[in-house]
Amino acid sequence: MQDEYSIEVDNIKKSFKVFYDRGFTLKEASLFKKRRSYETRTVIDGLSFKVKKGEAVALIGHNGCGKSTTLKMLTRILYPDSGTITMHGRVSSLLELGAGFHSDMTGRENIFINAAIFGLTHKEIKARMDDIIEFSELGEYIDNPVRTYSSGMYMRLAFAVAINVDADILLIDEILVVGDAAFQEKCFCKLEEIIERGTTIVLVSHEQQQIERICNRCIWICDGKVKAEGKPSEINPMYLEYLAKREKDLK
Amino acid sequence: MESTLDRLQEIYDYREMIFTQVHRNIRGRYKGSALGFLWTFLNPLFQLIVYTILFSVIMRNNIEQYSLFLFVTLIPWIFFGTCMSEGCGCLRDTEDMIKKVYFPREVIPISYVVSQFINMLLCFTIVFAALFIAGRITNPAVFIYLPLIMMIEFSLALGLVFIFSAWAVYLRDVKYMLSIITMAWQFMTPVMYSVDMIPGNLVKIFYLNPMTSVIVAYRDILYYQQTPEIDTLAIACVMGAGFLIIGWHLFNKLKRKFAEYL
Repeated sequence: MQDEYSIEVDNIKKSFKVFYDRGFTLKEASLFKKRRSYETRTVIDGLSFKVKKGEAVALIGHNGCGKSTTLKMLTRILYPDSGTITMHGRVSSLLELGAGFHSDMTGRENIFINAAIFGLTHKEIKARMDDIIEFSELGEYIDNPVRTYSSGMYMRLAFAVAINVDADILLIDEILVVGDAAFQEKCFCKLEEIIERGTTIVLVSHEQQQIERICNRCIWICDGKVKAEGKPSEINPMYLEYLAKREKDLK
Repeated sequence: MESTLDRLQEIYDYREMIFTQVHRNIRGRYKGSALGFLWTFLNPLFQLIVYTILFSVIMRNNIEQYSLFLFVTLIPWIFFGTCMSEGCGCLRDTEDMIKKVYFPREVIPISYVVSQFINMLLCFTIVFAALFIAGRITNPAVFIYLPLIMMIEFSLALGLVFIFSAWAVYLRDVKYMLSIITMAWQFMTPVMYSVDMIPGNLVKIFYLNPMTSVIVAYRDILYYQQTPEIDTLAIACVMGAGFLIIGWHLFNKLKRKFAEYL
């Protein structure tokens, strides 16, 4: 059955033009053609993978290997140059916390702004309001302007909104470093609960422990391709070995 | 490329985002300033005072109740002019969101134009109050044409904001060019003078400007209290729809690379 998979990525390619001196103004664009020389850097080069419904998958790889670019293409912020990405279900991405927050508005107003960016309707936001406020542990502060919040409070509110968006597919980019240890633990429990409910998760992280705790599969991306995939406990040692070797080579 | 129907459906699904963005634009804008929301009204009123002094005291004309004559077109113009000069930056202003979160990109220009449109509607309460006090409301039946001309102006503004905001992502000059163009455009549109004052052989050229028909219709309805001419309305209608369609399609072409160029 086709519906077995939530995400199907088929041979995608993506390259960026890296300008040495990018001309953004008319003068620069028309006069200094030579200066606008650029090189094309291929970041993703024929990447293919599939994620089953209800699976929790981690993308790993060294910095600049294209993990975040892949995630951005999954969420449709970027588009691949070629190849196809098929997503089955409602996608929510936790790439950025607190998108669109207005510092002069109250926590409650900002919940509406932020949740609406994830595509929720007014009714859906209202239904989640109590859960969000409770999860954020902000209590009575929720009706104060966000600018009066400490950075911890700010992040807790933002995470509370993001985690309460019920999606079929959740994309997460290294944001599980929120608040104190107790709050982090709470976030993990919530994530585990979400996975149990059958949500598909794709996670980018450098924290081996996080990955082994949450994910049941690991995809190692290297030079824009899948280098290896399998159980986190099998892939992680291989990956660490590679990292150590790479560091040596660089020296 | 997505079809128009899919895009409309998706924008409809994100309607709450449009509401909250409009709320954010209108309420958030003057938060923290002492006079707050009053600035929405003060800005046009000061412009009105300055232009009235200029054109009825210094450079005299013989239009009766000139301040009203100007007021009924200045408010619609400010809506359009702001959309041109500032609306083109709306995607740049929300750069953080566009680079980090997926949502139909059309939401941003739509929210911007709707916010400005609501500002205009609020200012219209003063326009009506002024017309009433001056005893100029003699034929209230003509007001049924007002929503129509507002819709036309709205689609014109939205179409152009689609075009220029998307273009400004790729070329930063667009914003600076537009602030000059908007100023020139205001003087080339009969906002501060009447169409009769344009030399006969130039009238046709003036009507190539879509805002001429719109402004003339506003003035017919509000100041002269008469039904706008069908010709004027038809031209405005066609141009409004035309720019909206062009903007809608151009935006679709350009939006896929926004996150890369911002």
